[in-house]
Amino acid sequence: MALIETQLLTKRYANGVTALADLTVDVEPGIVGLVGANGAGKSTLIKILLGLLAPSSGQARVLGLDPMADGFKVRALVGYMPEHDCLPTDVSASEFVTHMGRISGLPATTARERASEALRHVGLYEERYRQIGGYSTGMKQRVKLAQALAHDPRLLLLDEPTNGLDPAGRDAMLTLIQRIGTEFGISVLVCSHLLGEVERICTSLVAIDGGRLLRSATLSAMTEASGVLAVEVDDDGVVDASAALAGYLTERGRDVRRDGRQLLVNLTDESVYDEIRDGAAELDLALHRLEQRRHGVVELFRSPAPDEEAHHGAA
Amino acid sequence: MSDIALTGASRWYGNVVAVNDVTMTIGPGVTGLLGPNGAGKTTLLHMMAGFLAPSRGTVHVSGQPSWRNPDVYRELGLVTEKENVHGFLTAWEFVLASAKLHRLPDPAAAARRALGHVELGDAQHRRIETYSKGMRQRTRVAAALVHDPAVLLLDEPFNGMDPRQRLHMMDLLHRMAGAGRTILFSSHILEEVEQLSGTVQVVVAGRLAASGDYRKIRQLMTNRPHVFVIRSSDDRKLASALMAEVSVAGVELDKTALTVRASDYGIFTRALPALARKEGIRLVQVLPSDESLESVFSYLVAS
Amino acid sequence: MARHDPTPAERAAANSSVIHDIGYQRYEGIRLGRAQAVRALYLASMRSAFGLGRSAKAKMLPFGILGLLCLIGAIFALVRQLTGQGGGQTYYLGIPSTVGLLIIILLAVIAPELVSRDLGNKTLSLYFSRPISRSDYVWAKLGAAVTVVFGVLLAPLFIMFLGAALQSGIGWDGLWDEWRDFSIGVLNAGVYAIVLATLSVLLASLTGRRAFAAGGLVTVFLVSTPVASAGMEIGKGAVGDLAGLASPFTLLAGVQRWVFGEGIPVGSYGPVYGLAAVLLVAGSVLLFIQRYRKVTA
Repeated sequence: MALIETQLLTKRYANGVTALADLTVDVEPGIVGLVGANGAGKSTLIKILLGLLAPSSGQARVLGLDPMADGFKVRALVGYMPEHDCLPTDVSASEFVTHMGRISGLPATTARERASEALRHVGLYEERYRQIGGYSTGMKQRVKLAQALAHDPRLLLLDEPTNGLDPAGRDAMLTLIQRIGTEFGISVLVCSHLLGEVERICTSLVAIDGGRLLRSATLSAMTEASGVLAVEVDDDGVVDASAALAGYLTERGRDVRRDGRQLLVNLTDESVYDEIRDGAAELDLALHRLEQRRHGVVELFRSPAPDEEAHHGAA
Repeated sequence: MSDIALTGASRWYGNVVAVNDVTMTIGPGVTGLLGPNGAGKTTLLHMMAGFLAPSRGTVHVSGQPSWRNPDVYRELGLVTEKENVHGFLTAWEFVLASAKLHRLPDPAAAARRALGHVELGDAQHRRIETYSKGMRQRTRVAAALVHDPAVLLLDEPFNGMDPRQRLHMMDLLHRMAGAGRTILFSSHILEEVEQLSGTVQVVVAGRLAASGDYRKIRQLMTNRPHVFVIRSSDDRKLASALMAEVSVAGVELDKTALTVRASDYGIFTRALPALARKEGIRLVQVLPSDESLESVFSYLVAS
Repeated sequence: MARHDPTPAERAAANSSVIHDIGYQRYEGIRLGRAQAVRALYLASMRSAFGLGRSAKAKMLPFGILGLLCLIGAIFALVRQLTGQGGGQTYYLGIPSTVGLLIIILLAVIAPELVSRDLGNKTLSLYFSRPISRSDYVWAKLGAAVTVVFGVLLAPLFIMFLGAALQSGIGWDGLWDEWRDFSIGVLNAGVYAIVLATLSVLLASLTGRRAFAAGGLVTVFLVSTPVASAGMEIGKGAVGDLAGLASPFTLLAGVQRWVFGEGIPVGSYGPVYGLAAVLLVAGSVLLFIQRYRKVTA
């Protein structure tokens, strides 16, 4: 069963902004990245999936249910982590997550236990008994995640989970999300504007641009190898190492071009690897990098957006 | 001359030392000002922009002090982190007002040029409140550029932008840098900095931890072995051959690849192809795995 | 260090060493429905109104007011015992208006706590993404506010009833009369609780800043009262009779007069007061619900 399905999903607001336009997408379980949708599009989609907003036209299904007709059932199975600040400041994390667990339908003792476990899984230990007002951004993000997790949802909706975190905090959060998606067996929809994050942890991707679907595919399909080898050799100030290697390869009939500090060589056959190795060895060059270039998600956004002019408020 | 030069600059508020004895020079091109939250990036930018006086030391832009010196604003443009444009104005009106405030001889022409730079041609006569985040940012950049300053300061310019908007903004900044401007932008999102500029100034807890190209900075960290992930036609044979090399501190083998810790970067990178050729092993992948800005940054913050 | 030979228990433990699995556990147990969730919210709201689960400072004012009201009740009971006078329904009906100021202070603290806090912190996103509806939230909060005010008014009434009922020589008839008067007082307190609490949560929902909500509440109550009093003093005939509608407390006193026969002079306009009270409550509830329709997740 698909995790999330939409068909020609459209939402037009009274002030003329079209947040979503004919969005048709089929998302399989796993860790899904939602990129490119900023502002109106993203929060609109989340509200529709939670059954809090009616679309102008089209349909959506979450875990096989219609959010408009079965909103309560959907919301019982989904955990939501908003982007914005949403935590009270004068209660402890432990109290708050327990309270939220009860509102999600857990009996009192279970709520307490699962809240405690959720806080442990997100990495909050003795801090959990202090008031949330004194927490750092990283800790607050974890509390938001814990309250989404406590009632054992089948799907987590995480909106910019690494917002406001410094690099170490971001790393920790991404690792946690990956654990949730793989070890815990919970599907996750991650909204992010940082493509590097998405490429790191997601198994599939939905890219939205101007309210329309740009691409929806698995990550491996999107970042497949391109048949081009990238080679970096160090210039040590004496020799233009890249030029020397380029010359060596060209002499042997290879197709070589330069891209900044990299040499790009077409991978016409396997012997290219050996020629590069031999060229570096013979010319006594420092081989710093050798890899097959992969397509990146960012390439999706380099081409012009579909129907860019037609949209009010497009980039 | 369009440099930004700080000499022994410090800034404190009571017991809080926001910036501690920073000496740096930033020349033409794009430089990233990097640091964890609260490291002092915004304070530094505000000192450069003349909003704050250094408690000690000097801050000069294009040869003049930036504090209490209205003339410096002819050389300087600043785009702050907080959005503060009036929604009811159009981009044209906003940029034109900025041009007039700068008392330019031909404000309309300057405004047109600035809006052309940021490619807000079609939308400039709509009200700003209808704009997307990216367009608003570009409007503010245009207003900061209208007087054609040699130096442009941007505080977290990519905050909340979606990928397409970010690409546009990066292209814009690259173009301006290529034309000889000095551009300094601050960010705590390494992915953005890496894509935009290899040149960084890293601040940690108010101190300048490192300057320059981050790859070169990595190589300067000689006490940390460089980590490479290598795939070859015979990883185990390569691993044992590498262990015999003096420049290799350790190897680790798993199903997918061979991880090498090289204590001497220069010697190792030369030894590797030669050794592989001698042993008849095909190298399929050589990836430096800790020279990314993320790794360099975490090493700097940790030390 | 000398070590002892392993005891049988220690040997058994060594043979059965294990790493326990404390990874993530899925939950297959019961999930309670909407009704339970609303009840949980209702109870949690009342708890937080009294500052339970928060700092000691937060408990001071609500418990302090409760304590004061109990004290007032005890004093009334004592005075009645000692003087042998007072009693009848007036004894109980007078309580809400007597302690009016304390109730206003209490509401100025709990209404923002119940309502403005979630608005200001934007915690509503988290509530509405759960299996309760917007109106469920509204009714739970409203119910909690009314229950707290009613409870706080009930305490002194009950103490006064006990004081009277435990008098020796009261007899069954006397007890029955006392019970009847007490019930009237309780009913009256209920009306006060409903009107005041509903109006207060509506006012508190207009802002997410607790200080503003508290200030707004106090202003509405305190400013309107002198206006109504002035109207009652100066106005003649219909104007004087209807002036009480201008302020919540005088409105309630007017309703009290119409229903129980004691309160402020309302001439023949008793039913108007009754209707006004009903409309005030209905209108406040509707506006309160409306307030949350607009809130986005």
